[in-house]
Amino acid sequence: MKNDKTASGALGLDVGTSRICVAREENGGYKFRTELNAFVTIPYSKMTENVLKRENIPHSVQDGKIVVHGNESEKFADLLNVETRRTMTGGLLSPSEPESLNMIRQILGNMVSEENGPRKLCFTVPAPPVGAQDSLTYHEATIRQILSDLGYEVRSINEGLAVIYSELEASNYTGIGISCGGGLCNVCMAYLSVPVLSFSIPRAGDYIDMSAASVTGELANRIRLVKEESFHLNGFFNDKVHQVLGVYYDEMIRTLVQAMREQFAGAKSLPRLGRPIPLVLSGGSTLPEGFRDRFEKILKEENLPVPVSEVRIASEPLHGSAKGALIAAVTDL
Amino acid sequence: MLLSEAGTKVEAGTRVEAGGGDRARWWRVWHKGKATQVRMSVIEWRAGNISDPVERLRFLRRTVDAQDFTRPATEPATQHRPRRRIMHAGLAAATLFLIAAFVAAPTASNSAYRYHPQFLLPAPTPQPAGQEAPKVWQVDFTRDHETYSNGLRVEKSYETAGNERIPYPVYRRRDPQLETAEMHSGPAGIVYHTTESLMAPFEPEETGQMRRIGNAVLDLVRRNRSYNYVVDRFGRVFRVVPDDQIANHAGMSIWADEKYAYVNLNASFLGVSFETQTQRGADNPEISPAQIHSARILTDMLRYKYSIPAGNCVTHAQVSVNPSNMRIGYHTDWAGNFPFGEIGLGDNYRQPLASVFAFGFDYDSIFVHSTGRRLWQGLHASDEQVTLQASLLGMPVAAYKRLLRQRYEKILAATRSAAQKGETNEE
Repeated sequence: MKNDKTASGALGLDVGTSRICVAREENGGYKFRTELNAFVTIPYSKMTENVLKRENIPHSVQDGKIVVHGNESEKFADLLNVETRRTMTGGLLSPSEPESLNMIRQILGNMVSEENGPRKLCFTVPAPPVGAQDSLTYHEATIRQILSDLGYEVRSINEGLAVIYSELEASNYTGIGISCGGGLCNVCMAYLSVPVLSFSIPRAGDYIDMSAASVTGELANRIRLVKEESFHLNGFFNDKVHQVLGVYYDEMIRTLVQAMREQFAGAKSLPRLGRPIPLVLSGGSTLPEGFRDRFEKILKEENLPVPVSEVRIASEPLHGSAKGALIAAVTDL
Repeated sequence: MLLSEAGTKVEAGTRVEAGGGDRARWWRVWHKGKATQVRMSVIEWRAGNISDPVERLRFLRRTVDAQDFTRPATEPATQHRPRRRIMHAGLAAATLFLIAAFVAAPTASNSAYRYHPQFLLPAPTPQPAGQEAPKVWQVDFTRDHETYSNGLRVEKSYETAGNERIPYPVYRRRDPQLETAEMHSGPAGIVYHTTESLMAPFEPEETGQMRRIGNAVLDLVRRNRSYNYVVDRFGRVFRVVPDDQIANHAGMSIWADEKYAYVNLNASFLGVSFETQTQRGADNPEISPAQIHSARILTDMLRYKYSIPAGNCVTHAQVSVNPSNMRIGYHTDWAGNFPFGEIGLGDNYRQPLASVFAFGFDYDSIFVHSTGRRLWQGLHASDEQVTLQASLLGMPVAAYKRLLRQRYEKILAATRSAAQKGETNEE
């Protein structure tokens, strides 16, 4: 926590595939606001528009339709029994969603436009996916432009590094930060706050949901609900959905750890480490009970070339990246 | 362990020999590496003395340069001279001890975190559940029966003419007011029933008795055109009312799939009845393996022939309503324990009931007690949707239900006016 109780006015923004989280300082602590990075269109009617206005539900009217975005979009999609549309896929702006740019501009504007003061903002960007090093440029430039247009002095931070800034102050920001979100698992290793290796793999929560849905015949949305409400990785499964989720969680973790082993082993330069370093896991996909234990077990099996002192879950797994981005923004003040 | 070797820095692939220029070069490299390491130790120690994490981070970012501490990761430890390594390892150990003394211990594990979602959404309609219908086609037909590729044999000895299956109105679910009626034709689903007839013990010596009861049931079904199909206790499948004609099986009823809401299902759904009796609560109706097998291959045939989604194969208890008191469950056929899984379908009991969430129907404790727990999942999901919808509109649930009921009355009137003379909505 910051010692002085004065809010800096800076913002940390975690731009994730499924959720966007903004962090700000308040009363000596951190305050978070999370919105779904999704939207849904509903048929226009004056009555519906009035209801949305009265309830302060974020929406806009476009081409004779009402577009509800953010958290409320999922509720409306559920009422209308349609799937929400996503502005991003696989950690980046979705190339197959024509409204992605327009909608993410509205969602971001709705979340960050109320700030006064220094107006410094740091937002997270994923690390390059393994084997796709050049795919980030457009995404980062676009988000930067949107936020700059809103009047912010903008910088970006690697998502895994943000986790390190948020969680590893005790080891002088030395260690490995991993963010397992909806579209990607981001990995970053830092030594004394300096990132030395980062990458991502395109297997995360959405991959688990879709894979499990294709096997069970359930909707991905329902799989996600089951996953968030009752799933745990303890090896005993009540039904097929849980069993399938367990299989795909295992696969995701194993893929992640294998990628870590390969990336660390093949890195061109790494710092001299005098001792094992901590590893912290963050993001919504790390929430099932037993995730940490399973990850640690597979980590030991894979014999990571970097010695790890401990594996732990972030203190605030859903807010870790935004908090780290905020710390990075405040540090620049 | 990677990078545990301290105090040396050698370019990857360099072979270090004991004498001359190589030794001098090795020394320069080692000295530079050692100096960097000491510098890092000092930086780390100073950072550890800064209590404010932001200030500490600011200090580190200002002070540390990535060029300072990186080395080729492929540096093989075996390239170091063993004699030197012993000496340098001692220095390194001392340095590491100092570093370790200054660096705070790692924080405790927090693996006990439990996730609580911000809000629990009402269950989306979980369809299409179950498997895709396999390809089934007719391979033979005679005056008395039809045979299909999956072994299904449909007896036609009790077949009778019903009323023509005329186009029926359906309502688009994406229309919040459910005001957009479209006219569809052809079966859109299956409603499973029970004949509620007498049940002789399923024993060899009772075969004659069972046959007599079965024939009587089929006579009655034919007279009333009650169902399109009957599966008798021996698993024989009888078509009573042809698919292109309407059986009087579902009367006042409501269902909704992903796209459409259906009101009064005689015209839109086929009726398949099992010769058995519904049991209350969790008790299983008496049903033979032959009946389950026949129902499965019959369902497969109908689903494939008419492209019926698995989610539209439901029980009469799930769809039956009583408009006079606006309660569901006027009929309770298969109110619990319908073998959806064995029929090749998902557990459709989990689907919310459109009668409740779209049209404001209620249910009473009698219905709840007479149904199995599996159907309660659908009831619960329906209630959640109503509550959520009401809260989104800022209305009390009761007021919102009144609106839904007005919607139903409007649709019911339109449906009745569209009905042709041969369609019967009363059972």
